[in-house]
Amino acid sequence: MGELRRIIIDDREIEVDPALTLIQACEMAGVEIPRFCYHERLSIAGNCRMCLVEVVGGPPKPAASCAMQVRDLRPGPNGEPPVVRTNTPMVKKAREGVMEFLLINHPLDCPICDQGGECDLQDQAMAYGVDFSRYREPKRAAIDLDLGPLVETHMTRCISCTRCVRFITEVAGMPELGQTGRGEDAEITSYLGRSLESELQGNIIDLCPVGALVSKPYAFTARPWELTKTESIDVMDALGSNIRVDTRGREVMRILPRNHDGVNEEWLSDKARFVWDGLRRQRLDRPYLRRDGRLRPAGWAEAFAAIRDALPGRRLVALAGDLAPVEAVWALGRLTAALGGTGECRLDGAKLPEGNRAAYVGTARIEDIDAARWVLLIGTNPRAEAPVLNARIRKAWLAGADVQRVGRPADLTYPVEDLGADRAALARLGASDLSARRAAPGIVIVGMGALTGPDGLAVLAEAQAIAAAAGAGLLVLHTAAGRVGAMDIGFVTEGGLAAALDGAGVVWSLGADEIDIPAGPFVIYQGSHGDRGAHRADVILPGAAWTEESGIFVNTEGRPQMALRAGFPPGDARENWAIIRAASEALGHRLPFDSLAELRAELFAAHPHLARLDEVPVNEGPALPRGGLGQGEFAEAIADHYLTNPIARASEVMAELSRRAHARRMAMAAE
Amino acid sequence: MSLLSQIFTWWNGQTIGTRLFTWARGQFVGEDEQGNRFYQTPDGKRRWVIYRGEAEASRISPDWHGWLHHTWDEPPNRRPLPHKRWEKPHRPNMTGTEEAYHPPGSLLRPRPVLPRDYEAWTPEG
Repeated sequence: MGELRRIIIDDREIEVDPALTLIQACEMAGVEIPRFCYHERLSIAGNCRMCLVEVVGGPPKPAASCAMQVRDLRPGPNGEPPVVRTNTPMVKKAREGVMEFLLINHPLDCPICDQGGECDLQDQAMAYGVDFSRYREPKRAAIDLDLGPLVETHMTRCISCTRCVRFITEVAGMPELGQTGRGEDAEITSYLGRSLESELQGNIIDLCPVGALVSKPYAFTARPWELTKTESIDVMDALGSNIRVDTRGREVMRILPRNHDGVNEEWLSDKARFVWDGLRRQRLDRPYLRRDGRLRPAGWAEAFAAIRDALPGRRLVALAGDLAPVEAVWALGRLTAALGGTGECRLDGAKLPEGNRAAYVGTARIEDIDAARWVLLIGTNPRAEAPVLNARIRKAWLAGADVQRVGRPADLTYPVEDLGADRAALARLGASDLSARRAAPGIVIVGMGALTGPDGLAVLAEAQAIAAAAGAGLLVLHTAAGRVGAMDIGFVTEGGLAAALDGAGVVWSLGADEIDIPAGPFVIYQGSHGDRGAHRADVILPGAAWTEESGIFVNTEGRPQMALRAGFPPGDARENWAIIRAASEALGHRLPFDSLAELRAELFAAHPHLARLDEVPVNEGPALPRGGLGQGEFAEAIADHYLTNPIARASEVMAELSRRAHARRMAMAAE
Repeated sequence: MSLLSQIFTWWNGQTIGTRLFTWARGQFVGEDEQGNRFYQTPDGKRRWVIYRGEAEASRISPDWHGWLHHTWDEPPNRRPLPHKRWEKPHRPNMTGTEEAYHPPGSLLRPRPVLPRDYEAWTPEG
């Protein structure tokens, strides 16, 4: 950052960094400049010409403010600061002219366009355009692209801002779109007519300032002004992306990202964006009870009575599933403790050490990736485990970071230096001299694939040692949204899942669908979807899905965030903490809270860091003892990116995406 | 009762005039499965039906309708028409009744009592 420059924008004098563009300087001065192609997180194209401003003393034509830097401006003859005007007749005329040009080939189909009501072109045509058209000729026709099951295209509406091309190329890192032709024949196309393959392709729907790229699953279902918008947190991966859930009545109509610079910037993975159709299918809407070997509908009282009859003389084990909010896990933990049982949340068998937050969360924040000059991935495929985080690593790589990997090779959309896929490579790296890395910030990212083996603790210790030797931060990349929160409140059993299930008489599964519960114990399944867990259950308690209750989720960097309730659970289903509270009364161990607020007060008293929402606590803890590394390659943390939880497995869109991804893998293997 | 209703109404079975005409000139041809009786004059120039119950033209099946309107000479009880497996049994026009057809999207179409915005899981499904 150089010396600040003085600049006068519309008679307001401000001091700005000379590296800023004029559009950013105007924003700092509080002047809004209309734009279509300019986007803060993408490269500058300067092709829509909507952001024209007048530079006094410059060339006698309007200048595109997105493509001109403050340092490009010359001071006046006596050293006066350069002057930029945005409200002169020249600027007004320039904007009107540009708008008229853009509308020449834009169809008048706003009434049937899904972008209607949230369309930049509509808004800016109202604010900066003229109310007539001099164009009498036929409009351009364009053939719609088939970009796959997520993005619907209406290419006649395209104004060639190229935001989608830049996003797919720069952020998603998969150059699948481009612009061909010149002038009126310029059009956005996918290379060789292929459909998009990126896990972040849904973002181009948000980026498109017009209705050229719209959401296929959401097509023609709702208008933006009839939707109720609720701020929430995504649970499809452990990143905790900030989302907005749009509902109409009880139904979730769509999910959009919210901006959060520390977590997801403004991107969202396709899995999080399009999973909402899974919230409507396979729902548990009434309690079930297994009688004579078959599950039959029952009432809540019958279900609780069956639990009460099953408990005496048997050891209770509670399992916290991947999507469980902290409140529900806390309530379940209290109930389990009162009944003399134990809880466990590490369902994938990851050897996360209890109570040592510096080890099971790490010391780095997601934001630290931006500044990192060295990124080491251990046993993780961030593209599958958290696509938005992968885009962030890609951003660091674009800024010049080295990315190294110990683990199975996979295409991460940027070049990665492979150090080997097995534990020996990690040991070699741990033994090498990493002091040269201390000069610049670095980050070590450990995935669940590295920690699920029997030597998981040793791998984590080695990663800690490497991070310490290189002066880098450590980030443990979890795969489950509820995991860190459950670890934070100590919902673990000494010895992990195997020890917990060993000799268990009653298993209370809070949405644990990713594991097979062995035959024998009486299983209480509490969850939102009929999945593997429900089929194994003896009692099913229908719970709310994550959009249907307010809950705190702690993301993979240890940031507690609160998801608000966007709708109500279906049928007889209830909020998860309330089910546990009601069951506690039926079981004779009444929990001391009657509302979510009381529960939270108790939770926050015991774990004060959860009360500081959206803050990443500084994690300190003893380094784990090194040694005991095993042999062999690191495993894959997740088998299928699109089908990692019951909601995604209930979604038809996710099934289609998974099928396509599988077909691509098969095709690549055949070549 | 049926005689009275035949005297005072025209929409139940036959009228007095039809009764006299049938008695004088009618030659019985056949009866369909609903019990409607079909007649013709001895020279076959006129053909008519006496309904069993309400005189409603759409109650006549296409087979007898064809004979009544001189589309074919032989009545279907003497020369049955070929029928395909997929043909549905004849149904009279239900307009104005509870069973009237309402196309999809019609406000009059009966709706499920509870609109379901989700699909519930069932253990068998």
